[in-house]
Amino acid sequence: METIIKLIDVTKRFGTLVANDKINMEIKAGTIHSIIGENGAGKSTLMNMLVGLLEPTSGEILLRGKRVNFKNANQANRNGIGMVHQEFMLFENLTVLENIILGHEKIKGKWFIDKEKARKEIEDICEKYHFPLPLDALIRDLPVAVQQQVEIVKVLYRGADIIILDEPTAVLTPQGIEGLFEALKFLVSKGKTILFITHKLKEVLAISDSITVLKNGRVTGHVLPQDVDEVKLASLMVGREVILTVDKPPKTIAEPVLEVRDLTVKGDDGLDKVKHVSFQVRKGEILGVAGVAGNGQRELVEALFGMRRIEQGAVQFHNRDVTQLGPREKRLLGIGYVPQDRLRLGSNTKAPIWENTLMGYHLTEPFRKKIVLDKKRALQYAEQVVQKFQVKTDSVNNNVRNLSGGNIQKVIVGREFLLDNKLLIIEDPTRGIDVGAIEFIWKQIVDIAKSGISVLLVSHELNEIISLSDRVMVLYGGEVAGIVEGEDINEQKLGLLMTGGQQGHA
Amino acid sequence: MRKQFWIQAKDEIIKYTVSLLLVFAIGAIIILIQGGDPLESFAAVFQGALVGEGSIAKSIRWITPCIISGIAATIAFKSGVNNLGIDGQIYVGAFTAAMVGYAIALPTGLHIPLTILAAGLAGLLFALVPALLKLYFKVDEMITTLMFNYVAMLLTEYLALKFVGFDGSKSPEQVATPPILESAKLSLLFPPYQATTGIFIAIGLALIVYLLYRFTLKGYELKQVGENMLFSRQGGIRVKRTYVLIFLLSGLIAGICGAVEIMGPHGKFRPSFATNLGWDGIMIALIAKNNPIGVVIVGALWGLLKNGSFAMERMTDTNRLVITLIQSLFVLFVTVDYKAVWAKIVAWNEKRKMKAAEGASRHA
Repeated sequence: METIIKLIDVTKRFGTLVANDKINMEIKAGTIHSIIGENGAGKSTLMNMLVGLLEPTSGEILLRGKRVNFKNANQANRNGIGMVHQEFMLFENLTVLENIILGHEKIKGKWFIDKEKARKEIEDICEKYHFPLPLDALIRDLPVAVQQQVEIVKVLYRGADIIILDEPTAVLTPQGIEGLFEALKFLVSKGKTILFITHKLKEVLAISDSITVLKNGRVTGHVLPQDVDEVKLASLMVGREVILTVDKPPKTIAEPVLEVRDLTVKGDDGLDKVKHVSFQVRKGEILGVAGVAGNGQRELVEALFGMRRIEQGAVQFHNRDVTQLGPREKRLLGIGYVPQDRLRLGSNTKAPIWENTLMGYHLTEPFRKKIVLDKKRALQYAEQVVQKFQVKTDSVNNNVRNLSGGNIQKVIVGREFLLDNKLLIIEDPTRGIDVGAIEFIWKQIVDIAKSGISVLLVSHELNEIISLSDRVMVLYGGEVAGIVEGEDINEQKLGLLMTGGQQGHA
Repeated sequence: MRKQFWIQAKDEIIKYTVSLLLVFAIGAIIILIQGGDPLESFAAVFQGALVGEGSIAKSIRWITPCIISGIAATIAFKSGVNNLGIDGQIYVGAFTAAMVGYAIALPTGLHIPLTILAAGLAGLLFALVPALLKLYFKVDEMITTLMFNYVAMLLTEYLALKFVGFDGSKSPEQVATPPILESAKLSLLFPPYQATTGIFIAIGLALIVYLLYRFTLKGYELKQVGENMLFSRQGGIRVKRTYVLIFLLSGLIAGICGAVEIMGPHGKFRPSFATNLGWDGIMIALIAKNNPIGVVIVGALWGLLKNGSFAMERMTDTNRLVITLIQSLFVLFVTVDYKAVWAKIVAWNEKRKMKAAEGASRHA
């Protein structure tokens, strides 16, 4: 097979920081090449250089044997490199067709968009690569998996031979992932080249033709999937052995801590997003909440923590009615919250670590009744969080903005876990962070549940739900599709419930 | 840590120096175009602002409201409240101060605090309306406060004209409330000049706000709300209450600013008396990056320029608006990221050189 991209000693420096250090790599045409690494390993920097968003400090990028030096994304585009970003770049209120042609419109006369010509071309692409897209549907009405297909077709429409996919499976169900993999294999069979960026080892092994592992900006291995297993890959990524299975101690059934009855909550659009949901969280239990993104998880969590109005139903915490209480009152009662959006909701990135760890703690006894802020105690607490949760920083006076994603998450988790809480609502605790940090946070969650604290774990990583939960509640269309426990907590069963395939014993 | 601090401080100093030089260069050009002599004009500014007891006293007279107005803006902006209604709140405060100062007879020791308090409360109440509109109807406070400025200016003018504007003259420019009683007047620092003890109120307010943010739990909450409202909300801060509190505090301080003007230099309320003071405060807060101590420094500089510009107009042919222009340009220039501009220039230059070199090698 012909080499389509070759990197020779590609280095990228930001000031004194070396983000990519002499990367050498060959990508064969017509293959799926995976690039894996922890957050901060330099994957994004490398890809940004390929698509022209960054220029290498030194080294050469050879495209089809010719040296290239892209100044911007359009140049890369013209040379057949396209990227599907993790966060979709789609306009919700435009149709599929409009989204695809945006910026690359066919022009009729001098002023008018030739939609018909574009439509014909896109229909051809859809047919050739087996993407049955509804071209006139609005993006906001489409499920995430289809939106992703729109992104891929958009890249194809712009003439890409090499498609870079950044963490494409993060938003998909197991069934959706299978569908995506089918599509990718088909694209490759038609001669396209796929660069697949991920940190999910299982997927890498399932789909790649070859794998490059990055660590700290360097290549730590070029391997073939048939030569390695998950453990080997993880150790290449992290530099040590990683254990991603946790021991769940068998739990005896205890009294309920949180009781939710007939809960109905409206979404931002005024439609019911949570419909008549009832469940219990028992003492020391981890209740997983699974579901495809957008099936009411966000609204459920916001309502439970008092940040969204509850239309109907009741929430009881330790036999006390807390339905109408806000976050402050809930925190005072001992409910902690680790939000999914750690940059906007979970932390104040403009402030130093100690101000971040103080949030919530400042409501507790040593602070609450005083006028003057006891800074010594606040600093001590921050030190405690940093030490116990292994946050990599040299001072608690450093701004949170300068920490990596995994470290910010450790600050947030540490803050909530060290408080004297009785129930923790945890949302996607390991989204977009590296394997080492995932291992650590998973262990903390299991440990805290062991100590008798209840956990409501809402996650879009099925793997996480399966590994940690004692029981799993699946949400589908805002309703409880089923609550499963024990042997039933497995990918097939949950996957079916998540797509509404089977009504469980709710 | 320390080293980093100095690097940052150095950057800031360079930035302000570059901005200052640039605006004075532009100012000089404008004065030249008008046929004036820039050196003479700037000398007049300097002399009018700093040379002699009278000049310094007059500068203090202008520095006082600049600082208070700057603090009113700072406390709002620091917590993410876009209170553009400081001007209006000053008017309402000033009118109230004029009324209380004129209508109620009390011993000085009581009259002064009462007048200041009443003016502050008036400013506070005037700020309450936009705050509630924002909270309950999600009306953008930028728009309401901006519009309320006109309401305040015209309402106070109307009230002065309709009910109390009887100082004997019929000409509309002469409309004013009766002078306030001696017992409500702030003492002069260097009689007969207009600098009053109001400067201590200004510095005191700056200090209180500084201490509030630096050392108190409430200050911590205010800072977090300003920097990330969502984060504060989930962390258990009563965001709505805090938001209203900020709005009211800002209005209170603006009202006090109006009172200090009336109880000092003006002695009575005249329509349109406050020469843009509210906007001065907003610009001062922007330049000082919402740091209360910074507001004192920038406010002092601002007051000096303001006073100097009046002097310049008296002594030379140059229009005072040149200084206003310079002040506004200064605000614009300090928001420029000079490092980025410099990097761009360097990159552009290198590119040009490279092209030149390529061309040369081709020729050879």
